[in-house]
Amino acid sequence: MTLGELKENSEAVVSGLKGDSRFIGRITSIGLTPGCRVNVIKNDKNRPLLLFSRDTMIAVNRRECEGIEVTEVRS
Amino acid sequence: MSATIALLGQPNSGKSTLFNALTGLRQHVGNWPGKTVEKKEGTFTYKGDTYSVADLPGSYSMSANSDEEVITRDYAGLEAPCFLVLNMEDVAKEQGKTIDAAAIEKKLGIPVMLFSATDMKAYDKFYSTLERALKSKSHLDVSSLEKEYEKLGGYAEIKEQLADNAPSGYTPMWLTVKVLENDKVVSAKLKNTLDDKTIKKIETLAKGGADAVAAGECKFAWIDEILQGAVSGSKSVTKLGRLDRIYTHRIWGKPAVVLTVLLGLIASFIPALPIMGVGSLVDMLKTAVATGLEGAGCPALVTGLLCDVGIQSLSFVIKMLGFVFGVTLVFGLLEEVGVMARISYVFDNTMGKLGLQGKSVMPFLVSFGCTMGGAAGARVIDNWGQKVLTIALAWAVPCGAAWAIIPMLSTVFFGAAAPLIIVVLLLVMLLHMWITAKVFGAKLVKTEDRCGMIMELPPYHKPKWGALFRYVLGRTKDTFFRVVKVVLLVCAVFWLLSYGGGSDESSLLYKIGTAIEPVTMFVGLPWQLFIAFIASSVGKEGAVGVITALYSGTSYAQGFAEAMSGAARAANLNELLLANVTRPEALAFIFAITFNLPCVVALAATYQEIHSVKWTAKIALYYTATALLLSCIAYHIGQLIW
Repeated sequence: MTLGELKENSEAVVSGLKGDSRFIGRITSIGLTPGCRVNVIKNDKNRPLLLFSRDTMIAVNRRECEGIEVTEVRS
Repeated sequence: MSATIALLGQPNSGKSTLFNALTGLRQHVGNWPGKTVEKKEGTFTYKGDTYSVADLPGSYSMSANSDEEVITRDYAGLEAPCFLVLNMEDVAKEQGKTIDAAAIEKKLGIPVMLFSATDMKAYDKFYSTLERALKSKSHLDVSSLEKEYEKLGGYAEIKEQLADNAPSGYTPMWLTVKVLENDKVVSAKLKNTLDDKTIKKIETLAKGGADAVAAGECKFAWIDEILQGAVSGSKSVTKLGRLDRIYTHRIWGKPAVVLTVLLGLIASFIPALPIMGVGSLVDMLKTAVATGLEGAGCPALVTGLLCDVGIQSLSFVIKMLGFVFGVTLVFGLLEEVGVMARISYVFDNTMGKLGLQGKSVMPFLVSFGCTMGGAAGARVIDNWGQKVLTIALAWAVPCGAAWAIIPMLSTVFFGAAAPLIIVVLLLVMLLHMWITAKVFGAKLVKTEDRCGMIMELPPYHKPKWGALFRYVLGRTKDTFFRVVKVVLLVCAVFWLLSYGGGSDESSLLYKIGTAIEPVTMFVGLPWQLFIAFIASSVGKEGAVGVITALYSGTSYAQGFAEAMSGAARAANLNELLLANVTRPEALAFIFAITFNLPCVVALAATYQEIHSVKWTAKIALYYTATALLLSCIAYHIGQLIW
């Protein structure tokens, strides 16, 4: 599943990234690399997804969420 | 000892706070050579030596996503001594974390210090660490990072190819990783220095960037390794604070942001009003000086230039500075404490549709009060193209001066239908912004640059008042020198146009206005209204004064000058207007001045923010043209109705 499909308060691990080199550069540089654990704080329609990862709160636009594959750990 | 220091860091890491605290008033903003990106430079003295500091654009990645990032990484690629400042020590403490700077220092091979940019005492430590870095000429130890990279297929082979003919200024390791990441700027650079055969070989080895994700993993594996054993403490809370629960609320988030910005706008008037008062005093001086000069037998031409151009411009600029000061202070504060990041989050989707960042909503709202405030507020947008587009759209928002005239004119001509006119104006404003975003957006914000936000929401933190004030003062001073010539020039041009040497008929504006009346009548403006429209480019308050002068037969050169001071609204204005202007013409005029360029000061403020004469002129001409077009449409619709 992709990052945007996760429910609020769920926990997941990034399993893969899909996109052009520019997208990859932007995502990996903020630390969302494969194996990275994420906690979904907020997932509202028409708002960026709010997640907690690597000790910080990160907002990710919904469109960019589609390129981030995750495996759910806890729903 | 002396040195040039470049500050590198992620967005919201407190770089600007450090920069402002170090340099204070000794800073100035320019442009990077050949680029539109702002260059913030400053100096400070320590133990008698002068150091220069450059605040580089904040960036998460060292890829070539934007001009800002290219500039930053060109610095990062330099082989210079460096040291690491871990900012927000106080936040870490609050979260119950302990950080062993010495352990990190050992692994990195450069001085590492814990720091709190808002703590005055921390700066002594900063200076001593700086000295230590300069003395030891310490370079970052990247051997363990390279060990990670070596696990990537093709790394060693590409590095070998680059060993001899690599472009200077970059390390082979950095270049190799960029090749693996399929970085376009680096590829282009390599094509200049390497022969075709080597390029082919490298391209095959890079596998079209298939290892880009893995390269990212390497970096974080390295970071994790460095932090291993150096950082300990409780896992921080993953819950939202009370304020964030409001800002991120599905329904209340947007109203909360709008309310925050509007309160900010009101708050910015508190420091602005006294300064604006001084501007008004200067304005009053104008009449006194003019009377005095006339009495002394000074030629009218000289008096006019001195008073109607010189003193008038000065008054405009001082009033503007008051507002720039207030807006920069209040919105600088919102940015520093972390609220601006929340505004970005809430409006990311909506503004994204126009090709803008979420923050762009702030200049739009401020522009309902004053467009120059909107332009000054656009400084928080860190991408030049998006900043220009934001200001270009903010011009379409009717400002306070328009709100002072439009309801009055609407009521005089349309009575009870006036609110309807206002609603139509607001709808046209939205349409205008949407179309303008299409017109300029394609050039300013390229499709591939239209990416949604990927950004940290930093924890809220206390502002550093001293540094903030010094920054705002410096910025205001900068603005003064930049805009004063723009305002002088524009005021002089308009004054010359309206100057008739005693008789109105000999002024250029009269001659042109009456000569092209057949044309302006097509857009619904008789020559008097057309001249008032031209006058509204200097200041919208002036338009009504000019109409009064023109229809009541007083010298309009004088009326023009007086109107610019924001004065002159005749008691018999309503009768004057109703006797001379038809309803379709009035409708045309309302649209023309509402959507004309806001005023000369907003023009100057725009130039100050975007650093481009070409784009400032382009936007100004576009607004004049669209205002006349809207006027034309309104006139012909009006003729159908009445």
